[in-house]
Amino acid sequence: MGQTLVYGILNGALYGIIALGIALVFGVMRYLNLAHGSFIILGAYGSLFLFHLGIDPFASIPLISILLFLAGAVLFKASFSRLTILPEGNKIKNSLLISFGLMLLIDNLATLIWTGDERSITPSYSGFTFGLFGLRLPLIGLMGVLLALVLISILHLFLTRTYFGKSVTAVSQDHEAASLMGININQTFLISFAISLTLASIPSVLIGLKAFSPTAGIQWFNKGIIVVMLSGIGNIYGVFPAGLFLGIMEAISVFLFGAPYREVTGLAVFILIMILFPKGLFGKRIEA
Amino acid sequence: MIHSKNVVLTTLVAALFVIFPFMVRSEYLLNLLVMFFLYVTLAESWNLLGGFAGQISLGHSAFFGIGALITRLLWVGKIPISLALFGGGVAAALLAGIVGIPCLRMRSAYFPIGTLALSMIAQITVGNIFPLAGSLSSEYIVGYSLSSRYYLALLVAVLTVLVVYQVVNSRKGLALVAIRDDEGAAEAMGVKTFRYKILALLISSFLTGLGGGIFAYHQVSYYYYTTFELSWSFLPTLTTFIGGLGTILGPIIGSMCFLALSEIFAISLGEIHILIFGFTFILIVLFLPGGLMSVTQWTYKFSFKAFKRRYF
Repeated sequence: MGQTLVYGILNGALYGIIALGIALVFGVMRYLNLAHGSFIILGAYGSLFLFHLGIDPFASIPLISILLFLAGAVLFKASFSRLTILPEGNKIKNSLLISFGLMLLIDNLATLIWTGDERSITPSYSGFTFGLFGLRLPLIGLMGVLLALVLISILHLFLTRTYFGKSVTAVSQDHEAASLMGININQTFLISFAISLTLASIPSVLIGLKAFSPTAGIQWFNKGIIVVMLSGIGNIYGVFPAGLFLGIMEAISVFLFGAPYREVTGLAVFILIMILFPKGLFGKRIEA
Repeated sequence: MIHSKNVVLTTLVAALFVIFPFMVRSEYLLNLLVMFFLYVTLAESWNLLGGFAGQISLGHSAFFGIGALITRLLWVGKIPISLALFGGGVAAALLAGIVGIPCLRMRSAYFPIGTLALSMIAQITVGNIFPLAGSLSSEYIVGYSLSSRYYLALLVAVLTVLVVYQVVNSRKGLALVAIRDDEGAAEAMGVKTFRYKILALLISSFLTGLGGGIFAYHQVSYYYYTTFELSWSFLPTLTTFIGGLGTILGPIIGSMCFLALSEIFAISLGEIHILIFGFTFILIVLFLPGGLMSVTQWTYKFSFKAFKRRYF
């Protein structure tokens, strides 16, 4: 039981990081990026490629971040920027449709290039574990938790201490008022979107160290969106605890119903939340 | 709304499909047409909910899958196929009633995600319960005739198009379109939006279930969970959007294009036709919300007839 909980917490941290990227775009721009998981998988392939060149997966994070940032900026300019003027409901729906098409594109391109085989990055330390009070703590999972904490601190400092971060917060609270205050909404959106894909680089390495296949993106997106709904839309700080909550809940469900139904639990909880609390469980209830 | 010209044309096309097996003996073409009818059924029934009522569902694979599963189990259990097919449709509508209606309670922008979650739950659960392929027993294989599949698929496809046409060209259809265009305004005008959305969902899922039954009747052997795969939700979404959202003819055109592309790239790895369709889909959402159907309207706009009407 204790061991299951440990794995739950370690997985939960990963879910938290995935959700962070989705929450940033969803909370600030009301864009729902269904292809977020596919970008994570793309990043994982990039990291695998670099690993074969002899670069450590964790060392490849910066390079992948930069690539994803550029990809995000180009992508936003090319497609999503047309939606900025739409009202909220249409914006969510149309961004969802576009990213749905993108997801199909990326997944099938990935299958075409790398075949449908399941792959994973296997550095020498991939199976390494620490022992503590009779529990096994895998090194990679701990790295995930560490990275998640670092990432959230950086994002927090960015959003509250920098001028641009404050403009992102302002746009997320009321984008009309923000534009009246002289904030360039298009630019804010562009950079938020690019940052959201940059945030995908860390889960992509962590998932790369587990196992991934071209069509796994949607599953990881699901984890992310469940966590976002749990934490409440527009509430970036609730994401990490909500991720841990989902991880622990999954661990408990594995304990009760067996491993095959692990995914089902999260999804069922998600549907329940959507019906009962359409604005999410914890967190501020920001009305857009 | 029924024009005599349309009726004549439709009857002619239907008659052509009816006598087609007598003229062409190619099994390949007949199988292709069965798949075409299946795609039309799925796209048209999806269109009722997504195109006319504006509730984009990414979870129709659950309804398709349950229809296929129930039809197959009933049919293999010695129940006549017509009854089994009906049972599959009812099962799909029931599933929609139990889990789909709560999804409709969500704000409409989240409906796609909710239904996506629903279909993933269905896929995983069925994959756990029925991990093996369902093959037909030898007596069924001996009695297998392609033409009966062909006509049943044709019947279901025609039925679907007719039902959607009837619903859309009635008071209910007006209510659905009003909900799509502005739910709040429709509500204020006295349209019971939730009730109409449920109606559209139930009809749509029932017809999708029938489509699933056709698949189960047509295939000799398949893994039960493959009918729950997400691609069965993506397919009607793609074909309807590309053909023309909220039109009767659009999904048919979309299905035709999809089938043609998938046959051209049948032997390639990684499903190039999905690649092309995905790309086209993005372009259409961005630039051409009316789909390919609006292109035909353009040609009218620039045609001689329109020119004459405007200036003479």
